[in-house]
Amino acid sequence: MIDVRNLSYVYNPKTPFTSQALFDVNLKIEDGDFFGIIGGTGAGKSTLISHFNALTRVQKKSGTVLVDDMDLSVKKLDLKKLRAKVGMVFQYPEHQLFDDTVEKDVMFGPKNLKLPAEEQKARAKEAIELVGLDYAEFAQRSPFELSGGQKRRVALAGVLAMRPEILVLDEPTAGLDPVGKRDIMNLVMRVKQSCPTVVMISHNMDEIAEYCNKIAVLNRGRVEGVFSPRELFGSKALLEKCGVELPLVTEIAVELCRAGVNVNEAILTENELVDELLKVMPRAVENA
Amino acid sequence: MRDMTIGQYYPSNSVVHRADPRFKLLILILFIVTVFFCESFFSFGFMTFFVIVTILLARVPILKVLKGLKMIIIIVLITTLLMTVFYTDPNSKPLAEWGIFHIYLNGIYAAIKLAWRLLLLVLMPTVLTLTSTPTELCDGLESLLSPLKKIKFPVHELALIMSIALRLIPTLIEETDKIMNAQKARGAAFESRNPFKKIKAMLPVLIPLFVSSFRRADDLADAMDSRCYRGAKGRTRMKKLHCRVSDVVALLFWCAVTVCVLFLNYNWFGWGFIAVLGL
Repeated sequence: MIDVRNLSYVYNPKTPFTSQALFDVNLKIEDGDFFGIIGGTGAGKSTLISHFNALTRVQKKSGTVLVDDMDLSVKKLDLKKLRAKVGMVFQYPEHQLFDDTVEKDVMFGPKNLKLPAEEQKARAKEAIELVGLDYAEFAQRSPFELSGGQKRRVALAGVLAMRPEILVLDEPTAGLDPVGKRDIMNLVMRVKQSCPTVVMISHNMDEIAEYCNKIAVLNRGRVEGVFSPRELFGSKALLEKCGVELPLVTEIAVELCRAGVNVNEAILTENELVDELLKVMPRAVENA
Repeated sequence: MRDMTIGQYYPSNSVVHRADPRFKLLILILFIVTVFFCESFFSFGFMTFFVIVTILLARVPILKVLKGLKMIIIIVLITTLLMTVFYTDPNSKPLAEWGIFHIYLNGIYAAIKLAWRLLLLVLMPTVLTLTSTPTELCDGLESLLSPLKKIKFPVHELALIMSIALRLIPTLIEETDKIMNAQKARGAAFESRNPFKKIKAMLPVLIPLFVSSFRRADDLADAMDSRCYRGAKGRTRMKKLHCRVSDVVALLFWCAVTVCVLFLNYNWFGWGFIAVLGL
């Protein structure tokens, strides 16, 4: 559980370059949530999530963040414990790879947790397999000679090897082709079985609509609201107010409706769209 | 990392800001040479006066200028101290002595002059970087070095390398920040006291930084190539440097200052009042 209470954050306080990134943010992320965070550039999404594992420390008199029973606004914080609990995957995580073999790179996290050597190895193996790479084939290869998608998997494995209870993802599919995107999202859903709470920033509304059960909309450092996908994407007024676009599949359904095809507008995933289309298709064939 | 200030340009529209960077560089060189000719307290005071005038004309906050001194203040203090205790003057008695350390009156004078000289030598370049953008400085340098093209010296390439390097410093800092955060998220600790451990802890940051620098260099080369960049030959500039009368006047003025200092130093005509000033 992550509980954000009245959180504010100011960059460069007391200088001419000061700018407030977060204003009085209140959020509650429950165990088991797939929590989406959306908002335009400069909305404060990254600043917000970097609080979750204390990479950005809560400023004085600026609210607090609770992760389970840990209060992140206190000075003496068990960072190791927190960072093992909250796994953070940044944008383009493949840029963090550094070691000469995939296995060693994935072991970096467990090693920092000072686990015994066999445990480190076991966890690396488990994580590499979890992200869908063949351990025997990849363990001893250099991470720098892999393809883009494989690199990203290895980087993800590096975080998963710490066995986080909460996984925080900052645009996990940025810069990948559609197949790569799908692979990564499938992988995230697989990971969610062992690490039940997932927080994800994304600009891709299709991903948000398909996977998240709660969506927080940020706008210039403020939370516009927390909605379920149906609430948010079902309400034109809300979408306009928050400046959010429809997922592509929903837009297709809306356009089809407008063109006179009898489909349900309020669909959110590809599968739902296909079902709707199949429902009308036989009639379309008959009519022809 | 993020609050590190490099390229400390302070935007304003003063006379000094608008001056031609070539002339500013020339004046800086002249100034540095002149400072090395200064020997008497009077000549140091004389130079300091003109430095202060320049700072006032540049309309930069004095705190910004003093910040430039922060980096060298320790070096100045140490050299001053060493100069004071190790200076030997066979012609006079020491004021105090402890073993190999001894303090002479002339030693104190020499130490103060040394400190003063160092401070002057840092002040003026600080004013230059506060009042000129890195691009201006690169352009100015390229233009000043252009006679070297005659002997096939790659002036343009040198200036290009400099400006790319300067341009990428903030990018690299940002990148370092990001990678450090990513490794911290994997439990890396950079706060170790042991220097060897500290260096070892930096490896997971330095290697990705290197990799991304190479990638960036590759991308930049491709971007330049796709815009038909072919080096200096036949290349024109969007912003041309213009020298104005005021620039020439400023340069001549500083030449006059130099002559004055040389006069104070060598007293070619044996004027009595200069001998009095020449402490």
